[in-house]
Amino acid sequence: MDETLAEFFRRTILKIPMTEMMTVLKTWNFLSENQLQTVNFRQRKESIVQDLVLLCEENRASLNDAAHLDIIYTQFHRHQKIWDVFQMSKGPGDDIDLFDMEQFKSSFKKILQRALKNVTVSFKDAEENSVWIRIAWGTQYKKPNQYKPAYVVYYSQTPYAFTSSSQLKSNLPLLGQALTVASKHHHIVKMDLRSRYLDSLKAIVFKQYNQSFETHNSTTSLQERSLGLDINMNSRIIHENKVEKERVQRVTQEIFGDYPQPRLEFAQYKLETKFKSDLNGGILAEREEPLRCLVKFSSPHLLEALKSLAPAGIADVPLSPLLTCIPNKGKNYFKIRDK
Amino acid sequence: MELANTLRQDGESRGGVLAHLERLETQVSKSRKKLEEPQDAQALEARIHELKRLRDKLRAEVKRRQARVKASTANVEPDQTLEINEQEILERKQENVKAILQAYRFTGISGKLTSRGVCVCISTAFEGNLLDSYFVDLVMEKPLWIHHHSVPVFIPLEEISAKYLQTNTQHFLFVLCEYLNAYSGRKYQADRLQSDFAAFLVGPLQRNSLCNLLSFTYKVKPEGQSLPFCARLLYKDLTTTLPTDVTVTSQGTEALPSTWEEQRAAHENLFFTKPLHQVFTSFAKKGEKLDMSLVS
Repeated sequence: MDETLAEFFRRTILKIPMTEMMTVLKTWNFLSENQLQTVNFRQRKESIVQDLVLLCEENRASLNDAAHLDIIYTQFHRHQKIWDVFQMSKGPGDDIDLFDMEQFKSSFKKILQRALKNVTVSFKDAEENSVWIRIAWGTQYKKPNQYKPAYVVYYSQTPYAFTSSSQLKSNLPLLGQALTVASKHHHIVKMDLRSRYLDSLKAIVFKQYNQSFETHNSTTSLQERSLGLDINMNSRIIHENKVEKERVQRVTQEIFGDYPQPRLEFAQYKLETKFKSDLNGGILAEREEPLRCLVKFSSPHLLEALKSLAPAGIADVPLSPLLTCIPNKGKNYFKIRDK
Repeated sequence: MELANTLRQDGESRGGVLAHLERLETQVSKSRKKLEEPQDAQALEARIHELKRLRDKLRAEVKRRQARVKASTANVEPDQTLEINEQEILERKQENVKAILQAYRFTGISGKLTSRGVCVCISTAFEGNLLDSYFVDLVMEKPLWIHHHSVPVFIPLEEISAKYLQTNTQHFLFVLCEYLNAYSGRKYQADRLQSDFAAFLVGPLQRNSLCNLLSFTYKVKPEGQSLPFCARLLYKDLTTTLPTDVTVTSQGTEALPSTWEEQRAAHENLFFTKPLHQVFTSFAKKGEKLDMSLVS
């Protein structure tokens, strides 16, 4: 096996935490059960990794196999990447989408390979008719850099693609073109939506985050659930603002619903507006140029945090629509300008 | 009295006061008369007896009535059970109505009124099998809009609602129902093929989200040396569960027996006319028949 390939295997396997090692290797399904049994997993990690690399050499592992392992590792650790969302659109008179996965894969690969001689493209089919694509970028003269790949997750017959933010921004237009043409769309646009949590991004753009529906079969009453929250059952305590608390609870439930919120880490608002003042005169009022300002909200779970603001008494309800429209509009980057 | 009358002519206030005083006077004289009567101890005793007797009589009456009430409550059991029966009847009626509302699912489209509109439930089915249900929560405002839904992202909901939601809501639901039922049906066939007839497949079944393109290689007999066929089924009409285009080809370039072309054409026809899993059921049955004929 090639030195660089062996090194790539070594570094990829070394990344895998020991607690996940067996699961990842079994998912990869490249080394047989017997081969895995020959490895002593009680050694130091470096030694284990060395043994595994030797086994890969025995099996004549290729770059493609290494890329597969890298995809599986990334699938297990998808939160380590920041994901962007792209939206594609078709022309008005387009035919029914008869998506052929094999055709898509070969078309995608061809477009990239035609443009860049040096590029490694690998695919792995995933659940719900989706595909994970790993792209290692090179140039006309340089071999592909296997340590800084870009990932794309595409669900067939949908207009959305999720990409891990690649360091090499110059390749983005090419990636967009390959996706668009291979999936038989016409345009592609980057959405103002970004997060580490791929599943939350999917829930937002596929509009799957609110899955509670009223049916004649459902037994839980919505009122029971919401009122039982904070009101202390101790009869010796009288809540003076019970009515207000219930109002806040009700309005919060109307805006945010009963379901778990999709997970985002931040919302960013870029303001570019002229200073507005009632007082005539003043230095800022004379300014022709708009003022620029950036407001960023960060949280381990932004939408749950926003949902708890009013019940906690920190904010008044209803919250600003700029905050509550995030999942509905599929945006967590906003640009606010004068109309 | 004459004095009072003459006084009334003079001034009412004075007449009022004086008349009052006169009344008081007569009262006093009356009570004095009563007091002057000899305190007849016997009369008082008689009065006491009388009152005691009255008290006992009333007490007895009270007891009798209480006993009667107790007795009547014991006897009123039939009355109470009548009430319980009525309650049971009402409860049973309520449950019946609830069950009917729940059973509306089986009609394919059902709904429940919500505070802001209606939540429509589209229950899909194929060949008598109840499959997935999809929900659309509609807000009854002008214009009508969809609050949230569980329709998969690859079903063209935006297109359908842009065309029909405002102008003809009934038709909107009907068209959506068509798309969802067809999708469910195609998915059902593909799932059946993958699970029940895996032995007939050579390699994986290639499919997509809408299940409108299926590509697979198969054999008519699970084991043995029958030649494999490659099938490619296209469902260009998203409202149908049968393919619009079928291509059956051979896998390799080797020479094919003369019967092969006949079989191929027959298979193509089968795929056009029968649901996928039924085609394979017929392959399985034919295989059994052949086996039986070999045995006998």
